[in-house]
Amino acid sequence: MDLLSQTIQYAVSGVTGGSIYAVIGICWSLVYLITRVLNFATGEFVMLGGMLTWAFSSMGFGILPSAFLAVACTVAISMLLERLVIRPIRLPTEMTYMMITIASASVIKGLVLLQWGSESRRIEPFFGTGVIHILGAGVTPQVICVVVLMALITFGLHLFLNHTLLGTALRASAVNLTGARLIGIDIGRFRLFCFGLAGGLGAITGIVTAPITFTGYEIGLLTGLKGLVAAIAGGWSMAGTVVAGLALGLLEGFGAGFIASGLKDVFALVVMILFLIVRTITIPGIKRRT
Amino acid sequence: MANQPDSVQINVQGLSRSFAGIRALSLVSFSVKRGTIMSLIGPNGAGKSTLINVITGVHAPNSGRIHFDGEDIAGLSAHVIASKGIARTFQLEELFGSMTVLENAMTGCYGRSKSGVIASGFRFPSTRREEERVRKEGMDGLAMVGLDAKATEPISRLPLGERKLVGIARALCMKPSFLMLDEPAGGLAAHEVNRLVDLIHVLLGQGLTILLVEHNMPFVMSLSEKIIVLDAGVKIAEGSPDEVRNNERVVKAYLGEE
Amino acid sequence: MKSNRRFHLLWVFVVAGLALVPFVTSGTYITGVMCFVAFYATLACGMALLLHQAGLFSLAHPTFFGLGAYTAGILAARDLLPPWAGIIAAALVVAIVAYVIGAPLLRLSGYYLACATFGLLFIVEITLGQLGPITGGHDGLMDIPPLSFFGFTLQGDFHYYYVAWGLCLGCLWFFSNIMNSRIGRAIKAQHDSETAASCVGINVPRCKLHVFVLTAVTASMAGSLYCFYLEFAAPSMFGFPLLVELFTIVVIGGAATLYGPILGSIALMSIREAIHVHLKGVLPKMTAEVDAVFFGVLIVAILIFMPEGLVGTLDRLAHAGRRFLGKST
Repeated sequence: MDLLSQTIQYAVSGVTGGSIYAVIGICWSLVYLITRVLNFATGEFVMLGGMLTWAFSSMGFGILPSAFLAVACTVAISMLLERLVIRPIRLPTEMTYMMITIASASVIKGLVLLQWGSESRRIEPFFGTGVIHILGAGVTPQVICVVVLMALITFGLHLFLNHTLLGTALRASAVNLTGARLIGIDIGRFRLFCFGLAGGLGAITGIVTAPITFTGYEIGLLTGLKGLVAAIAGGWSMAGTVVAGLALGLLEGFGAGFIASGLKDVFALVVMILFLIVRTITIPGIKRRT
Repeated sequence: MANQPDSVQINVQGLSRSFAGIRALSLVSFSVKRGTIMSLIGPNGAGKSTLINVITGVHAPNSGRIHFDGEDIAGLSAHVIASKGIARTFQLEELFGSMTVLENAMTGCYGRSKSGVIASGFRFPSTRREEERVRKEGMDGLAMVGLDAKATEPISRLPLGERKLVGIARALCMKPSFLMLDEPAGGLAAHEVNRLVDLIHVLLGQGLTILLVEHNMPFVMSLSEKIIVLDAGVKIAEGSPDEVRNNERVVKAYLGEE
Repeated sequence: MKSNRRFHLLWVFVVAGLALVPFVTSGTYITGVMCFVAFYATLACGMALLLHQAGLFSLAHPTFFGLGAYTAGILAARDLLPPWAGIIAAALVVAIVAYVIGAPLLRLSGYYLACATFGLLFIVEITLGQLGPITGGHDGLMDIPPLSFFGFTLQGDFHYYYVAWGLCLGCLWFFSNIMNSRIGRAIKAQHDSETAASCVGINVPRCKLHVFVLTAVTASMAGSLYCFYLEFAAPSMFGFPLLVELFTIVVIGGAATLYGPILGSIALMSIREAIHVHLKGVLPKMTAEVDAVFFGVLIVAILIFMPEGLVGTLDRLAHAGRRFLGKST
């Protein structure tokens, strides 16, 4: 393969990954902005989506019913997590939230391991295995499906948040929780809703990527963490998260292609740390003369 | 020069600070003479606490200068400013809730002790001696505010009035030359206020310079030689208690425009 | 001062009791389990200090533990330094890493430090796996010699038991001295109120950095010792499952006491042994990730029902009981 087609190939995988990270990042910020909980189990929803779809389809369900069931189950698990684990906390500090969501993530991950083992699982591509060639680079229909679906999800969320009453109320609550409570918004139901939505979106991304990257009990943490990187770098806003997610995906695509494929997962995390370090320098009010 | 009794301890020039575009302080200037007490009054939201926060380095000023003992300290970090001899109390206590009363006072001695991590961890003899000294100084600080009997109580068991006194003791343990009291009489009973007045007189007798922010007018009027009045971040009056009391703008600021 | 003497007496009893354990349990696997308890306790004491006393959410403790293990292990396995010098070299390396990471990140709010250190956890785990020629890759680092001091080589659980518990109690003693000093007051002060702390002259960022680097160094020393004990190190030993285990210990130990993590470690190892002995037939594979299911449930339960931690709750109950019996002073 020549350099051009190589570059295009890496760019394609970068955009695919990036669109996934963007949506997962949105899952993080949906929950974070309404509940101030950094939900470290977000990545497990992605894993659950893929694994449950695989499990249902291996029980004999068709791919579409399996996917539907998987999303429904993940939404339910996510909402149960909010109801049974997050809400009963009596000392709601950032530290407690963090510990409890990390603990929940390890429980979900471990249970999946116990039930379905440690093998990588694969779902058949939705639209066959043909390859479309663009300037020497191969693009599968599944990749196109992922990118289009992620774009649709993002656009749909944008419409929902900006053009519906519920969405507007959600945005208002994200800006000012006390104010929202004062004007009679039921924050408890919003929290539940956001967890459910994040769970559902996470599961969908997990399902559509499973034919490309395989899925397995251990993929949740890292995938989730990369979404978090997108959310943080995007400043918790939706547009920012999308841009940051795509940038991250491209970086990862080129990094894995041109530098070292084994370090693919490291690039995003290094970027996160560097980004946070740079932020400490640019935050107003921190800089002082000494 | 700096130690002459009549010299200026702190001189604030054209101090401004905004938060999210709202001007909390705008071109405030004043100076306090060494060993005197000056009061700062003003309606709620006038920028009194902001002024203290800017002087102590909690917030950096947007512009302006603060000369303390002839040195410009504007924009320095809070801990650096504290080490120059500026101490404060807080309107909302801000005590160290996980510690005892004595430990709170001892924390005030932080800047004047120097055992490092290694020395403290291995409890070198020098650290033990220093710890004894700090403990004694902490008790002295508590004795000044009359709380030495409650040294081992956790902060949470003290009533509001005594908590304010712990804050003052903590500040005194810093052995400051300039002390800012942010509403020390707020929430205090009458007899506690009287004790506070006595304490302030003792401190002035020791040569301390004091800036007092307070709402309790009789308290302010009885103590102060000079008063400045802030309204909406702007200094609107300055003078003796009588001058301020009869100032038209001050009356308007407090009673509202007609 | 009377209570002080009683406290010292308690220490003497605890140390004497611990010193006798290997004689009582000699020949059984319990000595080995107690070695693990010591390693975990050393690690968790530092983590509890960071989380509870200083209020810093660093998740990189397994990483510093691992870096300590790998640095000392590589230096010793490649005959570059004698093992004891490797421990010191590893501590220095980890101190530098912690300083470089901590200096900027400790200025951010809690969550961001957590995210960055969580990222570091994975970066180090993955990188250790990828640097095969140096670290032995995913299969782990072999050929680590046992620890030896000036000609005396440590052999078996019996020897390591004393060194590991020596390190653990040494760290605990060091930490408790710190917490009862001006540094400790500064640590608690900046946790209670950063503004007030800086206004009494505490350099808050530097204070945080002190705790961060200090606990990283103790974690590194525990890690170095751990790799000489096992004569082996693998990247997966220092990853997410270890973090969950440390959380379990810290949560059981609670915020109230410095020695809580030791009890927490004993509890953790007991639970783990119990799971492995009783559920061997029921559960297919006993990996750290399966253990993490039980620990995760435990963490959730304790955080919801006993926010002061198991030790803290028992402590409070004991206090209440004593007061009820009228023996309170």
